[in-house]
This record gives sequence, structure tokens and C-alpha cells, in this order.
Amino acid sequence: MSRIIVVTSGKGGVGKTTCSANIGMALAQRGHKVAVIDADFGLRNLDLLLGLENRIVYTAVEVLAGQCRLEQALVKDKRQPNLVLLPAAQNRTKDAVTPDQMRKLVNALTKVFNYILIDSPAGIEMGFQNAIAAAKEALIVTTPEIAAVRDADRVVGLLEANDVKKLHLIINRIKPAMVQQDKMMSVSDVQEILAIPLIGVIPDDERVIVSTNKGEPLVLSQTASTAALAFQNIVRRLDGEKVPFIDLTAPNDDLISRIRRFFGSRD
Amino acid sequence: MNSDIPVSDTPVPDTPAPDTPVSDTPAPNTAAPDTPSEAAISASDTPVPDALTPDTPAPDSPAPDPSELAAPNAPTDTIGSHPTPQPPQPEVTVPQVRLKGEDGRLLLLLPPESDLPSAMTWTELWLQLKNRLQAGERFWQLNSPVHLMARDRLLDARQLQDISEALAEAQLQLKRVYTSRRQTAVAAATVGLSVEQQSAITHLSQTEAAGQVLAEPLYIQTTVRSGIEIRHPGTVVVLGDVNPGSSIVADGDVLVWGALRGVVQAGASGNSRCMIMALRLDPTQIRIADFVARAPENPHSQYLPEVAYVASGGVRIAKASEFSKERLSP
Repeated sequence: MSRIIVVTSGKGGVGKTTCSANIGMALAQRGHKVAVIDADFGLRNLDLLLGLENRIVYTAVEVLAGQCRLEQALVKDKRQPNLVLLPAAQNRTKDAVTPDQMRKLVNALTKVFNYILIDSPAGIEMGFQNAIAAAKEALIVTTPEIAAVRDADRVVGLLEANDVKKLHLIINRIKPAMVQQDKMMSVSDVQEILAIPLIGVIPDDERVIVSTNKGEPLVLSQTASTAALAFQNIVRRLDGEKVPFIDLTAPNDDLISRIRRFFGSRD
Repeated sequence: MNSDIPVSDTPVPDTPAPDTPVSDTPAPNTAAPDTPSEAAISASDTPVPDALTPDTPAPDSPAPDPSELAAPNAPTDTIGSHPTPQPPQPEVTVPQVRLKGEDGRLLLLLPPESDLPSAMTWTELWLQLKNRLQAGERFWQLNSPVHLMARDRLLDARQLQDISEALAEAQLQLKRVYTSRRQTAVAAATVGLSVEQQSAITHLSQTEAAGQVLAEPLYIQTTVRSGIEIRHPGTVVVLGDVNPGSSIVADGDVLVWGALRGVVQAGASGNSRCMIMALRLDPTQIRIADFVARAPENPHSQYLPEVAYVASGGVRIAKASEFSKERLSP
């Protein structure tokens, strides 16, 4: 039984696509067969983050129009053969696809893939409706900011109304030092408002920007980073493992002490 | 529609095909591709205009991962098919707003309406029209009369009014509307335009005749930005840059007087003698007829005007200065 997970947030720019790329890649690294679907028609980015832009020949719109077969549109990742991308069309708008068509596409993919990750566009209009149409689970991405949390809350409500009941929260771009000085919402502040189970906390990291620009997800990088570790932990938790959360509280500490604490206590 | 959608166990054939014909002499300074079938687009530093880069002919060796490397409209048969030239597509399949000069008037052709998911919505059509009008100002006489060929598209009075105003902004006058839909004809009459209602059959036969010969070149002066797709059943000339995320699909050549960074296809209906040329050739992907090539992983430091063409079963790149000397002279 394959799992169909939508990555969504309501607000733009909180890291949906970055999460989709890294979680998709990390799932594939663990040996799952993964399809990531870019549901952001007209403003697609997932192909860029995965470094697959120049390999796209067909997109979901051509599949739906019957101009090519589904497997022709799937772009395989050379670095990680378990991962494929179904690209969105860049020259169309969100209205080019209907929720029914999206369901059809996803259902066809369930025959081959264990995990289907749908990268939702920002907003709650047609594009969002398309993205969640086929989903059984959702990963809500938010940053510790009032506006992002407010939008995430709205999205949680919409998902529940659309019978997506298995929801998990990812808090992205947290700055532990600011939290300690009480200048930023903490994980528990966010959780108190949203009241859905937390699946991961990703620290703010400049390397994310570098990896995004290079089209190489952070989890592929040889050098370890807390952000990559956080993504890998999310994936292990998705797989049902119990993984303690990384302690991000201490500022300016090195990786060794972080890892030591990671094996020690749970924050 | 997608009854055959079930994906096989190997959804995408893997990149390297053993029989990939790779040129034996990778050019010096050419970013060496990391797999043999990696199509590379690069050449400006190399002395020989021909056989510059290892590159990949499409159907026999799927270079970019999407398996089918034929033209997007190609019949979707199995991988490994041979490059068969496509019969020219009837003009009807081009979902594009077109402006075309004819007998001292300008024809504004709207794409036909259909139930396909690829059919354009009014919003998309409207964006394209605005783009096209902004890109072409220099190419028509001011106050030229425009005849709108609406074909079977339903347009209400508001939309016709919008079109008329957009044309007026570009100093063009909407004079007459041709349509095969009664409602559109009525709406046009309410707005005060002269109307000619045609039967759908005449319009079909017209377009089929037009499909055999390339349309006159499309000349546009604009930056082609992400999300814009230009399709034209002839040669396309762009005065400006073609940004990543945009695409140009032409049945003839594509000439870019600027930087080419998007996806460009020349000879889209199967003519592999078509060429792509740009002052700065740095594309996401180029396709000529059924052949596909990607940019090398390591970009150039210096760019010179280049020409991409098909020779000995693959896409080749040559410096423009040498190309015209060596290839075009008898």
C-alpha cells in the first residue's frame, strides 16, 4: 500500500519545496521507490531544487492531454534511481488541471511507487485543491512566525474538511539562539496553536540556500549538517521509527556535541 | 483517456545506452560530460566547427531521462524508435495566439476551443495576446486594421471588448470578427463590430492547407520570460533574451539575438535540417526535430555566438563565425 503525502503550508516561502526535495531524496536513499509530484503549475520549482530542469521533456499536462504516456513524463534522478519527478507545466496556470485528473495521475503512480510526495503550491485556491485531492496524509510546513502559523492553521482546517486526517507538522528555519532570547516563537509555541503531531524541526542553515541553488538536495551532500540530519530524522519517523528530536537549544556549539546530545536526551 | 497509464516496473529507462554514438574527439575545453550519453552543448573554444562535442542522437539512446525524445507531438511508440520525420501537424494543434499579416491587414488567430486539458482558458489566452502585442509593436503599421479569427471559440461581449481595447493600446484597430459560433457572432454585433459567421468546415479546410508550408517567420522583440511558450509553425526570431523556464517550439529555425537560456525546439514537425542560433547559447535543453541535447554540467566562462544543428546523428554546436564559413558556403 503506497503512501500519498502532500507537502503544504498555506503561506509561500516557508520551505515546502525544499522539504519535498529533501524528504523525497531521503526516502529514496532508504530504499523506497519514491515519486515526487510538482503540483505548482505555472510556478514550478521542484525540478530546480532537484537539479532535473534540463531533463524535462514532458509534463503532467501532456500526460493528461494524452500526448505522452505517464512513464515518459517521469524524470528519473541519476544520482538516486529510486526517485522520479513528475514535473508540472511551466507555461500553464493552476486551472489547467482538475482535482479528478490529479487523482487519476496519482492513482496510476501508486502501482509502482511506495511513496508519492506531492509538492503543493502556496495558497488555498485551485492549485492547493489539486494538490490535496489524492492525498491521504499531509506534512504541514511552517516557520516560527505568526503569519506562517496562522496560514498553517487555516490549511490544517481545510485538510481535515477534505478528509486528510493524518497530519504532521514540520517547523522549518528555526533559530535556536533567537528562541533562547525569546525573540522567536519556540517549537512548543507553534505546537500549542496548531495542535498536530510534530514530525521534525529544521534549523535555519545557509547551506540550504547553497544546495537549492546547486540543485542538489542537502541530504545528498557529503558533509554532515544539522538540517540534513533533521530531514533524515523526519523520514525515519515517517517510516515509523521512534527518533528523538535533535537538541537545537545550545547556540554556537559544534556538531560533535550536538550529536552527543542527540543520543542523550530528548528536548 | 489514460487507460494505458499504468507504469511499468522500470518507469524510466536509465541514462546510458551502450550503443550511444559518441564523438571520439571530445573537444578541448569542453566540459567533459560525466556519462557517455550526456549530451553536451558547448564549443565556443574549439577550433573545429564540426564534431565538437560528444552528444546524443535522440531515439536510439535516451539521453535526458524522460524516455521519449521525439518531438512532443510525436506518436508515442516505444523507446528506440528511429527518427521518423513527422508529417506536418495541422495548424489546429498549435495552441497559440497568432498575429499574421495578410493583404495589408493583420489577422489575429485564436486557438480553437476544445475539451482537451490542453485547451487554453480565457486567462491564458488573454496573457498570450498581451505578451504578443507587447513583443511585436515594431512589426506592423500603426492603425492597421485587425481581423479577429475566433474560429470555434466562444467569446462574450466583455472579452471582445477587452481584445478590442488591448489592440487599441497597441495602436491597432479591431475591424472585423470571423467566427463559427453563433453566440460569438451575436456578442460581436452587440459590441458594434462587423461580423462574419463561417461554418466550421470552411475553417478546417483552410487550416489544413496551411499546414503544408511553413508560416512566415515570427519576429518578436521581447524578453521571453519563464512560463511563456511560443509556438509557431515557421521560423521564430527573438530580439531579446530567452529566459530559463520559457520555451520556444518552432517548425522552422530559431534565432535568438540575445541569450538563450530556456528550452528551444527547432524543426518541431520533424525537419532535422533546422537550426538554433543565439548570441549566447546557454540553454536548459535544445531539441532539433527528434534530437535532444542538454547543457553540460559545467557552464562556460566565455560565450560566443553559436549555432546548433544536426549532423551525423546528433546535435552539434559550432561557433557562428566558423559555421557560416564552413557549412553554408558550397
